Amino acid sequence: MDKHHPSDCIEILMDRAREGKISRRRFVKAMGMLAVLPAAMRAGVGFAQGKQLVVVNWGGDAIDAYRKSWADEFSRSSGIPVKIDGSGPTDGAIRAQAASGRPSWDVVDAEPYTALSLGRAGICQPLDYTVIERNKVAPGFAHDYGIASYLFSYVMAWDSRKYGAKGPRTWADFWNVQAFPGKRTLFKWMNGMLEAALLADGIAPSALYPLDVPRALRKLDELKPHILAYWGSGAESQQLMVNGDVSVGAIWNTRAGLLEQDSDGRIQWGYDNAFVTPSYWAVLKNNPAGAQPAMRFIAYAQDPKTQVELFKLTGNSPANPAARALIPADLRARDCGSPENLAKQIRLNGDWYADHYAAALEQYLRRLAK
Amino acid sequence: MNAVNSTAFKRALLIAPLPLLLALLYGLPLAGVIGWSVTLPTPGLEQYRQVVTDPSIRDMLLRTLRLCLSSTVLAVAIGYLLSYCWVFASRPWQRVVEIAVFVPMWISVLVRAFGWLIALGNEGILNTLLMSVGLIHGPVQMTRNEFAVVVGMVHFMVPYAVFPLSSSMRQIDRRTLLAARGLGAGGLRTFWAVLVPQTLPGLLGAFLIVFVFCLGFFITPAILGGGQTTMIAEYVYLQMFQTNNWGLGAALSVVLLAFIGLMAALLMWASRVNKLVR
Repeated sequence: MDKHHPSDCIEILMDRAREGKISRRRFVKAMGMLAVLPAAMRAGVGFAQGKQLVVVNWGGDAIDAYRKSWADEFSRSSGIPVKIDGSGPTDGAIRAQAASGRPSWDVVDAEPYTALSLGRAGICQPLDYTVIERNKVAPGFAHDYGIASYLFSYVMAWDSRKYGAKGPRTWADFWNVQAFPGKRTLFKWMNGMLEAALLADGIAPSALYPLDVPRALRKLDELKPHILAYWGSGAESQQLMVNGDVSVGAIWNTRAGLLEQDSDGRIQWGYDNAFVTPSYWAVLKNNPAGAQPAMRFIAYAQDPKTQVELFKLTGNSPANPAARALIPADLRARDCGSPENLAKQIRLNGDWYADHYAAALEQYLRRLAK
Repeated sequence: MNAVNSTAFKRALLIAPLPLLLALLYGLPLAGVIGWSVTLPTPGLEQYRQVVTDPSIRDMLLRTLRLCLSSTVLAVAIGYLLSYCWVFASRPWQRVVEIAVFVPMWISVLVRAFGWLIALGNEGILNTLLMSVGLIHGPVQMTRNEFAVVVGMVHFMVPYAVFPLSSSMRQIDRRTLLAARGLGAGGLRTFWAVLVPQTLPGLLGAFLIVFVFCLGFFITPAILGGGQTTMIAEYVYLQMFQTNNWGLGAALSVVLLAFIGLMAALLMWASRVNKLVR
């Protein structure tokens, strides 16, 4: 046999392995068949495609849901093991990863403003839109550094023992403690809460941005005596509502859906005047598994079937409009991204948050700890 | 002389790995944090100036101190009673104390915080009980405030108070207690005049250990305080992970560390004084 032919085969295999076109298992097997595995090891092929891909989300039930919807099948088809890490990719946590010089995270499920501001700061890398398809999300949901993974909402939920089926529908209702007496809960990390205060204060939804933070904080002061707690985690918001500690809450639609189920309809909620926002996929610069596997994972997660799977498991609405048709009829009313529900809601402005999040949050937190 | 020196040298060589490891794993990162506190976002002492002058930070530091002091006093008082039972009571009571002290230690801090939320909630066991005996007419707000934070912290800290206290009680010559009784002192007098002074080192140790631990509390106040009772540890987290203000977070950490160092120095000094008195 020609001496050069095997080395050419090896070269092809190595190239394909580097590009992530074949799995580590297939690469090793092929190298074994060519009886040059030790040589290949010496040659130092970076097994980027065989390395574990670390996908970071916000923990809880979402760890299992991501695994079932996205990770397992992606690993099977690509040969890339995926680890779901639920430690929460906050802006600071990602910056800390980057500052360490050797990030251990690959793909993060970040807030839109985090993806945008970290992209500008050179901490996240631009997405590869030759692998990921821009048109698999609605217009305006794909940016250089982030693309919508799913949608979720901040909704009003109320205890029907107190108000019957006629709960608060507008943020003015939420602030109206005469008409709707009882304790409230708001989100500790601010998103949507400033908007709620401004709407309650009479600002039109179209005139919300840029947010008038001082005015929002003044309006929040008004409600402060009636706020029992600022929830920091979904579980906490759920517990506050289910125990009857609060009668009205601004909480995530995913938790509201669970509450409605668990309380046999005692807790009610709706999408009127809710705040809808996407979550974004972003990829850290110099991520350990390499750019290609990360981009392929994101592209895989664009598949409508997998997104509907996630919706069924968590209530997070598909970012890919093509998935909408696959949602079973009885679950469609729950989908915060459906055209009917989108029409009732207000979209949070990721660009505003990218520029003002830290400063506004600092003021918000100081105000509520007073 | 030479022989002594070489033994000393050998000894130093033997213990050298530990200080070296500490310097590497602890000293270096710490130096990094101190570095951040004077370089981020701009070089200078601006962050420390803010720690000293900012009224919101001052409020937060005062709240931290207040919550830690009250939790510490309560935890040490409860720990003292428990230690007394553990050391001096009959066998079955000793077992009860052991279970009461050890079992909670093995339960996750999260579970305990949520447990208190349920127990102290509007429809929780305590409110239900108080309402059923007619002491109160509507539920009393016992969670999502400083009261709940103190309850949660005390519950966590009691075992840490029990260990130094019980060990100092075990070292007491019980005959001194009997002698006091024999000389006509009543139970209370024996307690105050004989037992307490002899357990002073344990009390001091327990107080400082519990207090220093309390300063670092994070999860318990975050859950039981309902987001409105931010303590220093959580505030540092906020600066690092949410608002991206690493300089201020680092400066606060350094201040906290210096304060804890001072407390530890105080503990050493006090225990030495105690030896002299003896």
